[in-house]
Amino acid sequence: MKDISIKLMPYERIKSIGIKNILSDLKKNTIVVVDAKLSPKEEADLIQETMEEVSDSFSGIEIGSFDVSDEEDAGFFSQMRGRLAEFLLGKKRGLTVIGPAEMIKKIKKDPQELMFYLK
Amino acid sequence: MVVSYLKSIHKKIGSFLNGLFSKKKDIRLGLYGPPNAGKSTLANTICKDWLGEEMSSVSGIAHETREIIVKDKIVIENNGKKLTFNLVDTPGIATKIDYADFVKKGIKKHDAKTRAKEATRGVIEAIKWLDNMDVVVVVLDSTQDPVDQVNVTILGNLEARGIPVLVAANKCDLKSSDVTEIRNAFPQYEVIGISAKARENIDYLYERLFEVLR
Repeated sequence: MKDISIKLMPYERIKSIGIKNILSDLKKNTIVVVDAKLSPKEEADLIQETMEEVSDSFSGIEIGSFDVSDEEDAGFFSQMRGRLAEFLLGKKRGLTVIGPAEMIKKIKKDPQELMFYLK
Repeated sequence: MVVSYLKSIHKKIGSFLNGLFSKKKDIRLGLYGPPNAGKSTLANTICKDWLGEEMSSVSGIAHETREIIVKDKIVIENNGKKLTFNLVDTPGIATKIDYADFVKKGIKKHDAKTRAKEATRGVIEAIKWLDNMDVVVVVLDSTQDPVDQVNVTILGNLEARGIPVLVAANKCDLKSSDVTEIRNAFPQYEVIGISAKARENIDYLYERLFEVLR
């Protein structure tokens, strides 16, 4: 089995280096964990950039994420507080995990949990 | 300075009048979804129903559609009303494309690599075309787990762009189909169980398209 590295990355770092630059880590068998939910546009950009990089040795990525903004059991004030925090921080509360497809067999997503099955 | 100001006013009035009197642009109906969900089969069913001919080739091997295919001026009728749109069949959106998967399906290595390269370009094009859509039917395979990040990403991008969406839970004629699971996964969207191949519930899909585009 290949060595696996896990890189924890603040969302602010992704914003500063650009979404494309995560790919160099992913191509080196690194799983990237981001402390926020990426926006739909950022996810689409990541897919596009990934497709540009697909080769014989890199077939793409697996991505899983969830956000905690709209928890069903959260009260009105709790949700408002969360949204205000997101507005002030400029990021969607949640988690995104991105890994190279060569390493990850599948991702199972429950509403607030992610399970990664490695090959 | 006065002349350039007058010119800009003139230009603005011109474009306002053009917008007022020009014909409304054609509606673009996009079929989006992951690979092998049945987008091209649905495109063919729609074209056979209203044009009497097929539009796209279909296959059991993923990424058969690797470029955008557009069929112009499809006119559908419902209760005496007509709806004209341009149908856009898009390549399946995926986060990974491995040529080895095509080799396993019996495609020669060289051809598999070419197919993979074309498929990656198809994904990029499909995402770029999101901005050109007026309404989208997201086609999902109702025999598969719907909680896939690709599905979430497609729906999230459509929502962010304010594009009306219908979710077609395809292959509902198969035993392992579970339309309810798709409804539970995406409760904020209207989910219609269909079988594009067996032509089940397609008329209801047309009815809903009329409502969404009204």
